[in-house]
Amino acid sequence: MLDELLVAWIGHQRWFGGKGRPIDRLSVESDVELTPGLRHLIVAVWQEGSRDRYQILLGQRYDLPDRLEHAVIGQFHDWLLYDAVHDYELTGWLLDGMAGDEDRGDLRMRHTPGVTIDTSQRSLVLGAEQSNTSLVYGDAYICKLFRRLIPGINPELEVVAALAARNAPHIAQPYGWIECDLDGTPTTLAFMQRFLPNANDGWDLALASVRDLYNSAPGIDAAEAGGDFAAESRRLGAATARVHHELAEAFPTDVIETHEVKRMAEGFRRRLGRAVAEVPELREYVGALEAAYHLVEDHTVEVPVQRVHGDYHLGQVMRTPTDWVVLDFEGEPGQPLAERRALSSPLRDVAGMLRSFDYAARHLLAGHADAAALEPRADEWSRRNRAAFLEGYAEAGGVISADGVALLRAFELSKAVYEVVYEARNRPSWIGIPLAAFRQDAF
Amino acid sequence: MSSTPIPNAFDEEKPRDPYWYKRAVFYEVLIRGFADSNGDGTGDIKGLIDKLDYLQWLGVDCLWLLPLYESPLRDGGYDIADFMKILPEFGDLGDFVKLVDEAHKRGMRVIADLVMNHTSDAHPWFQASRHDPEGPFGDFYVWADSDTGYSDARVIFIDTETSNWTYDPVRGQHYWHRFFHHQPDLNYENPDVQDAMLEVLRFWLDLGIDGFRLDAVPYLFEEEGTNCENLPRTHEYLKRVRKEVDRIYPDRVLLAEANQWPTDVVEYFGDPVGGGDECHMAFHFPLMPRIFMAVRRESRYPISEILAQTPKIPEHCQWGIFLRNHDELTLEMVTDEERDYMYTEYAKDPRMRANVGIRRRLAPLLENDRNQIELFTALLLSLPGSPVLYYGDEIGMGDNIWLGDRDGVRTPMQWDPDRNAGFSDCDPGRLYLPVIMDPIYGYQGLNVEAQQRNNGSLLHWTRRMIEIRKRHPVFGLGEFAELNSSNPSVLAFVRELGDDRMLCVNNLSRFPQPVELDLRRFVGVSPVETMGGVPFPAIGELPYLLTLPGHGFYWFTLPPAITQEE
Repeated sequence: MLDELLVAWIGHQRWFGGKGRPIDRLSVESDVELTPGLRHLIVAVWQEGSRDRYQILLGQRYDLPDRLEHAVIGQFHDWLLYDAVHDYELTGWLLDGMAGDEDRGDLRMRHTPGVTIDTSQRSLVLGAEQSNTSLVYGDAYICKLFRRLIPGINPELEVVAALAARNAPHIAQPYGWIECDLDGTPTTLAFMQRFLPNANDGWDLALASVRDLYNSAPGIDAAEAGGDFAAESRRLGAATARVHHELAEAFPTDVIETHEVKRMAEGFRRRLGRAVAEVPELREYVGALEAAYHLVEDHTVEVPVQRVHGDYHLGQVMRTPTDWVVLDFEGEPGQPLAERRALSSPLRDVAGMLRSFDYAARHLLAGHADAAALEPRADEWSRRNRAAFLEGYAEAGGVISADGVALLRAFELSKAVYEVVYEARNRPSWIGIPLAAFRQDAF
Repeated sequence: MSSTPIPNAFDEEKPRDPYWYKRAVFYEVLIRGFADSNGDGTGDIKGLIDKLDYLQWLGVDCLWLLPLYESPLRDGGYDIADFMKILPEFGDLGDFVKLVDEAHKRGMRVIADLVMNHTSDAHPWFQASRHDPEGPFGDFYVWADSDTGYSDARVIFIDTETSNWTYDPVRGQHYWHRFFHHQPDLNYENPDVQDAMLEVLRFWLDLGIDGFRLDAVPYLFEEEGTNCENLPRTHEYLKRVRKEVDRIYPDRVLLAEANQWPTDVVEYFGDPVGGGDECHMAFHFPLMPRIFMAVRRESRYPISEILAQTPKIPEHCQWGIFLRNHDELTLEMVTDEERDYMYTEYAKDPRMRANVGIRRRLAPLLENDRNQIELFTALLLSLPGSPVLYYGDEIGMGDNIWLGDRDGVRTPMQWDPDRNAGFSDCDPGRLYLPVIMDPIYGYQGLNVEAQQRNNGSLLHWTRRMIEIRKRHPVFGLGEFAELNSSNPSVLAFVRELGDDRMLCVNNLSRFPQPVELDLRRFVGVSPVETMGGVPFPAIGELPYLLTLPGHGFYWFTLPPAITQEE
């Protein structure tokens, strides 16, 4: 039976969200032939009473070439079934489908108005991905297949399409998407954008700079060190401000009234209370944190809100040979769709990036033999690059008002509190990284 | 093109290659500093002739000589007092003809600097012009009653000049000069000037010279209301020059010095239809500082960015690229570029600003780190363009920062450990500049003779790299494509010309780095490392993993795939 083959296979897939729990049942909810030898499946997986749905591209051949052996799912009648994302002879059909706006069964394939898709590109599965599967076509496109399906339009598709329609800078051109109705709701199955050839994420670039500083001769400060990153941080700040501006233009905006701002402060406090109960290392900073949150309550003006990135950090921005590009407008992972699309203060993104700079500066210190001696260098790198990022943000029109400074600080601290809890649970030796946020003189 | 047969100075058996400059390795040589044949303490043409065997051994294809004309030497010879005379301390025209002949016998070419824009104020044309406004040279320079014209043109040497106009009490008028006040600009509006300069070109071409580096070409014409740079009529005149050269001397080369952004410089190649009809070559100025910046930042972006911004050039044209030369990179050149990387990255880094001037040689700039010197040289020899080596850098010569201005990098070539580094027999006190004597770069230890004896020397290494480059015309002629690199510190690219394909991978970081390259285009190919000839594992569908030592690099040939998959 196909179900049984899939049960045995799906539990080992990296993108499978229910690892470690037994699979009670698997059923095929939808089975559409896209082209001979290529089927699109949506399967429901029941585990301990909950149901998750996944999509699978199923290939079938009488015999498999060596290069596909690792993708085999099992023997079914005369056929060998396999995970067809690895088969460039079949994945090309997705390009054809989008280019031709094809419908198959319930599946709708569409291309972005005004673009032309080059259907001759050969695909390769991008390694090292956790929850989805991305196909890179030549060096032209990257097509993300969402493995676990959540009903609704993917926020990234929504955001990037809207920004591209405005010719916004710093985004990767969308080319097409695949959708179907799930529980009666149009649901994004795949989203294809321009692949950014020869680009690296900001995290790798920042670490190259930090490494260089750690190994600079004594007395060389961060500004003088060869790997100085500040000019990049500044350009990234400017790019961030421009993207925020475009988001505000492309989507509705609103304000949070002053009395509601007080509620935000309460939220920060509540989270802090829970965190302190779990991680006692936080206790000594409670006073300072409370004081910082209190400043938010003194807000005398409304807080402007808009669509934001929502999960903004150095890993979400790519340096191409000519520019910074922002990726993954999916909002905070693990949150319900409505929350991921909710309006928020753009300062939340700014705070996320500031935290990311701090992580980049310190993350090599965990377990480092000279950690104590290098700590001042980490402080210096973090200060310098955070300041440069903020400068760039302001230069390009990003607004941080006087009240905004307090709110930004509160966002940042609240994020650090979250990180402390996360590290305490998952990587206790890293707990020093977010804790350093509470020691900084910025207090 | 021409119906007149051209006497061939080279091997009569071999067909001439009209595009030789696209494959050539250039070597910038300072006659004054290379070899002194008569013991007067100053290098000369005869001395250079004696060293041609060395340059041939090194693999040089073309010598580029700095100005060698009669001159009061107030601007290093760029102030020419007679276009048709050799500076007496260098020799005479007979020596020059012999130099060209001897170079040609060895398969090498010779080009020389020529200043088209201006002369020295000691030039007879200028003297005639100021004394006899109505005479035949009266209109050879740009004269005006007031000093207010062309006010939109910037003053280039702002440290020494306050205006582009200077008053001449003899003629009672102001004359125009874009550079020093003792270098009046020629008046190209005057057809006689245009003809006179063509006459100068023909004079040297008839003597056998293989081309010119045209100094300061953007400034030939002036026009009110413009910045007086890159004007259409300047291009028109250069097209006329090119036509004349092509008509009578088809395989000579014009190399433009236009210290401008590549998008502006491409104009000097002329019309892409037909492969270019102005200069054959132009220097790519911004690349050099970006190579330095990339290694300093341990990031390929400074290089990736400028190459991505460099427009395609006409088919028969070529960039000249260099790590060091006697010219200064000036930052004002880039401030107009809004999106410019240099402005945010470079102008704010005091060390970069100080270092990438003209005052240092390659080895001291890189703290004499052999790995870095090799990496830089490998980049120079593999990036798109024809490389220009600066004399002495092949042995890692040092500089003398106490000599001031540009002299610090113009000290005598270090040939051997004997008196005056083998450069001259004179009393050391008579040398035009002292030889380098410090403990690291001093001639006693660092010289051509010692390095020729030692197979592991930088000189032998450089020679070997030039040899590899010359075995692979792809470096000069092939397409350039940067590869997707998973590591921001690794610059990887493919040069491709039919079956001649080179994969170059460069680690710009001082730390060892891994890199995964997307080489799917070459599935089934086993790359062969060029220095040792060792075959590497065959390329498959998966990213190709390489590890590089700090500041390490690889050059691989990519031979045709032996077996195709499936």
